[in-house]
Amino acid sequence: MKHDLEADVRTDTGIKILALFFAAIMFLAFTTDPIATGTKAGERAPNLEGMAYNGSGWTSFEMSDYFITNWTKGDPSGEWMLVEFMDTDCTFCLRAAGEVAQNSNYFMKIDKDNDGTPAWKGPTVNFIASATQLDIPNHETSREEIVGFRDKTGDQECGGSACATRQGGAHAFVYIDDIDQDNMKAWKVPGTPAYYLVQPDGIVAWSSSENSNEEVRDAIFRLTLEEE
Amino acid sequence: MEQNFILIAYIVPVVVGLLLMTPTGASLFGNLLVSRNPLMVHARRRHMLGMNLVAITGFIVSVHTLWITNKISEGGNVCSSATVFSCDDVLGNAAYNTDPVFGLSWGLIGMVAFGAILFITNSVNKEPDALWAERYLKYGMYMTGAGLAVIALLVSYEIQMGKICQFCTMAHISNVVALFGFWKAGQMHDRGQWNDEAVVESESKE
Repeated sequence: MKHDLEADVRTDTGIKILALFFAAIMFLAFTTDPIATGTKAGERAPNLEGMAYNGSGWTSFEMSDYFITNWTKGDPSGEWMLVEFMDTDCTFCLRAAGEVAQNSNYFMKIDKDNDGTPAWKGPTVNFIASATQLDIPNHETSREEIVGFRDKTGDQECGGSACATRQGGAHAFVYIDDIDQDNMKAWKVPGTPAYYLVQPDGIVAWSSSENSNEEVRDAIFRLTLEEE
Repeated sequence: MEQNFILIAYIVPVVVGLLLMTPTGASLFGNLLVSRNPLMVHARRRHMLGMNLVAITGFIVSVHTLWITNKISEGGNVCSSATVFSCDDVLGNAAYNTDPVFGLSWGLIGMVAFGAILFITNSVNKEPDALWAERYLKYGMYMTGAGLAVIALLVSYEIQMGKICQFCTMAHISNVVALFGFWKAGQMHDRGQWNDEAVVESESKE
């Protein structure tokens, strides 16, 4: 009968290498607390970037520039972000535009009380729209159409009618050009409109796809006013 | 600055390991090694010592890159820089910091790869004349050869980002040096320079 007398060297070495690997994993486990990147609640939001229209012109925008990495829950000075993925020709986005205008003016503290103080007493929630072009016939968009949708100006058509006549008032927040769908793919957006509430430290606190029974407004009230 | 010191700590063993695989290493470190261990007179032993040095360095660099990736995900800055050398920008880019098939962090893949290389180099070092030794060295060569394709992919990511992750580059260099080491070991086999006796005999004839 043949015996493999050399096997012990490999077994011995294998055990040593596995022990080394295990030690390295233990070191990583004790010294780090990684947070996965994604769009589910508790995950770190992927970056949102591109050329953005702020009402006066197109400038480079990067959402991560606004994160406060050492923010702690309950700190009211940190500014939250409400990211909306939309398409200027999407019927549901056009219908939601009025409510989005109301919410953004309220939570961005543009709406004031009689005494001149902001109507919303909680932390500022900055709205950001990422305007994409869905792969659906008659959903061709352009920067001119994005401007028309945001400002309610011009003679561009949004979803078959004039952008200037869409519901609600003009929006006062930035619109990112995501016609190439880069941001939409990075965020794995299932459809438009989709909303994500992002904490000041860049962690996703809420998404409309995970909470289909809760309105954006209710989610902001519930989450931004939470104490430590 | 601190990061540069750590980088040097990785460069030194890889360079020493590479030199040990070449005749230059024998003239540079030969006397020192033999004075500590007379068996180091054999080229094969110096070669395997060099390969082990490179493999362990590659493994440690991989652990370090995974650690940096984890720290960045927590929201920290580890090696952020405005220059082209900024591993934070590379390892923190969620679009590129995991493999496109399984979504595993590149650092973890590096740990597994260098762990396997370390297993081969350690096993062969202990049993250089085993029946499986030559076959294992070929496996190592194929594995590090396949690593070149992964390196090409990662370098293409860095070009797209316009940033270079210096620690990742160190792991890439370790892989290339290990590939050279496995190839050289095959050459030593072919030329009959693998066995200790053969080397001693050839040296005594000189």
